[in-house]
Amino acid sequence: MNEQAIKDLLYKLADDQLILGHRNSEWTGFGPILEEDIAFSSMAQDKIGHSLAFYTLLQELGEAEPDTVAFTRNANQFHNSQLVELPNGEYDFSLIRHFLYDNAEIIRFEMLSQSSYEPIAKVATKLKGEVKYHVLHANTWIKNLGSSTEEAILRLQSSLNEAMPYALGMFEKSKFEQELIDAGVYAGEEAVKAEWLKRITAVIEKTDLKLPDLATIEPKFGGRYGEHTEHLQPLLDEMAEVFKIDPTAEW
Amino acid sequence: MSLKSLDPRVTRLNLPEGEVPAMEPKPELDQFETYEAFHQKKEGAAYTYVGPVHAPNEDVAFLFAKEQYSRRFACTGLWIVRTENVQVTPYGNDNENLYDSLQFEVPTQSSDIPEPYEIFHLKKRGKAHTHAGRVMATSYEEALQEAKQAFGEKGPIVNVWVVRSKDVLQSAEEDKDMWTTIPEKKYREAIAYKVMDKITKYKEENKPTTAQ
Amino acid sequence: MYGGGNVFEATKFDDVQTEDPAKLEEFEARIARGEKIEPTDWMPELYRKQLIRMIEQHAHSEIIGALPEGTWITRAPGFRRKMAQMAKVQDEVGHAQLLYSAAETLGKSREQMLTDLISGKSKYSNVFNYPAFTWADSNIISWLIDAGAIVNQMANAKGSYGPYSRALERICAEEAFHLKYGHDAVVHMATGTPKQREMIQAALNRWWPPIMTFFGPSDKMSTHTETLMRWKVKMASNDECRQQFLDMYVPKIWELGLTVPDPNLKKNMETGQWEFTEPDWDEFKRVINGDGPCNAERLAVRRTAEERGAWVRRALLNPKAKYVKPLA
Repeated sequence: MNEQAIKDLLYKLADDQLILGHRNSEWTGFGPILEEDIAFSSMAQDKIGHSLAFYTLLQELGEAEPDTVAFTRNANQFHNSQLVELPNGEYDFSLIRHFLYDNAEIIRFEMLSQSSYEPIAKVATKLKGEVKYHVLHANTWIKNLGSSTEEAILRLQSSLNEAMPYALGMFEKSKFEQELIDAGVYAGEEAVKAEWLKRITAVIEKTDLKLPDLATIEPKFGGRYGEHTEHLQPLLDEMAEVFKIDPTAEW
Repeated sequence: MSLKSLDPRVTRLNLPEGEVPAMEPKPELDQFETYEAFHQKKEGAAYTYVGPVHAPNEDVAFLFAKEQYSRRFACTGLWIVRTENVQVTPYGNDNENLYDSLQFEVPTQSSDIPEPYEIFHLKKRGKAHTHAGRVMATSYEEALQEAKQAFGEKGPIVNVWVVRSKDVLQSAEEDKDMWTTIPEKKYREAIAYKVMDKITKYKEENKPTTAQ
Repeated sequence: MYGGGNVFEATKFDDVQTEDPAKLEEFEARIARGEKIEPTDWMPELYRKQLIRMIEQHAHSEIIGALPEGTWITRAPGFRRKMAQMAKVQDEVGHAQLLYSAAETLGKSREQMLTDLISGKSKYSNVFNYPAFTWADSNIISWLIDAGAIVNQMANAKGSYGPYSRALERICAEEAFHLKYGHDAVVHMATGTPKQREMIQAALNRWWPPIMTFFGPSDKMSTHTETLMRWKVKMASNDECRQQFLDMYVPKIWELGLTVPDPNLKKNMETGQWEFTEPDWDEFKRVINGDGPCNAERLAVRRTAEERGAWVRRALLNPKAKYVKPLA
């Protein structure tokens, strides 16, 4: 197995989870309903935990330790999709992103739990149940709000339109795509995307929302290769503010 | 100018600086219904009351209760009941059996088909209601009567909750994996934080020098 | 995170003379027997009002208490701290939810309580009107404010109202993590680099005066206080809580070589009591009445959260839904 290919996949997964977990944690204490505040925070913690699990696999492959990898790289060294780095906006945008992201994430976890690369398969199998809750949470909210008041539907629709190009950017292929597919690591981005589309369509059809016409949308690619929006570097600077006071210190 | 806070998240909220106009009273509509949650600590254990959540419907109540009541301790299942659907008896004294003081009317022959009811007992004031079991009945009243016969002998019981089984939203068997990793989340357990070594080392290195 | 204090102001329900003597006797006998009171039991108006007041203030202190440490939630250094800080702040929100529920069983709706918080009508623990300047401030809060809260909450868990006791038992179990986490973080700072040590000492210097006021001024013993103690609403005096806190935590601060910024702090071996410089109660009053460094920001944040979330609640409201107060 090409180790570079595995590393690239692991970075993609871990960076997505870290950045989204970080973004979602910004809601803690500011949520729209007390109980939702708590639920959203749990999922943010899960995401950070998932990234740690994948950074740990990277460390086993010779990369630096997770704290160093997460807290000292610059934006152009991150492999996350641009979707996860966008600011939280209002709750409608955060929910739509959560819905679009986690419906893809669960498919990755399902595929990876069958992976020929055993360390990934083990982690994915163990953590799959957590992502299952994230998807249940996202779908329940979209179904409820997506068929409620005009105000809510309008908000969600506009966030959906705004997020969709970035969501399609999640499926940007890596340069090792074919190798990973051939080696049975997972079925590749095309396959994830096809299944994702089926699943989000099924939810959206139960609401008054409309899926934008994907044929007319230019996906926001680049994230997987270190090209990011202007939002990522400030996020990373903020995240590492204390850590960088002394990166060798034990905090 | 917007408020610059020590908290970068607050700065991003773009709050107006200085005096803010008084808030309009919150409209009544903000008040959701409440749902009561019961959890199962381990396989085969009786479901126990953990507390309420505010939610617009039982699906959302489940999402909420799952994180509010089962994020920190082992759990294998969750039940949700709308508060309004729980029939509550009066509270008795500690160390007494409430069933002894309940007066039942002689049951009239009912042509209704019996349906299952869930019975919860409170054994001591201040503790939590625990699932005692299920009975078949055609009304809450009859369910209570059946419950007395089925599991009312073992006192003390200070309070009883009766719920129609069909009003209980139960977590599905195949959703158990949503809880499997909870015991591994050590970062939120006291036991993960051990600093005696560091303190001892610090004290060793910084002993006040005593005169010879 | 709540230290009590400033709760039991006189209310117009001070008078228990107007209560039904037979019911009052039964109620008092139940408490004397060590039994808990449950929501549907008869209870004197004074008991109900003071409990609502106390539990509500406690709940507000949790939701507002999430903000000073929340200041550092996006900047916690390293995975271990990042995840724990998130879980710790989340727990405070969770505690608010539990406590609002307990207060609701006494007949005041959660929305009313939140409205009273935002409008400034009801109070919360004064310490949260102080800022968390650095990561080290957040560590001091996690350790010492939570430590103080546990002293108060362990006492209150033995109180007479069932739903409050149940909530507090759960809260204390969760706060065992907060205390250890906070201590762990402080120990790392105090035994770390000179810069870390300097940060933690500076934070301790900033937070010590508010910590000393956390339990409130000495209680004025009145018949009113005696009644609330007999009814097991108030479980320990403010001074008792403060002494217990000092006994448990000053030695732990000292063993790290940190200086408590009060030259008069010492334990009197004859009386067994700690002696200290009297806290500035004028400042305490000034801050609690709105003129503290962060009062305006704390309420503005809470209010903004409410307003930004209003569309979600509007969208989900079922017009046929009827609010019923929770059972227990």
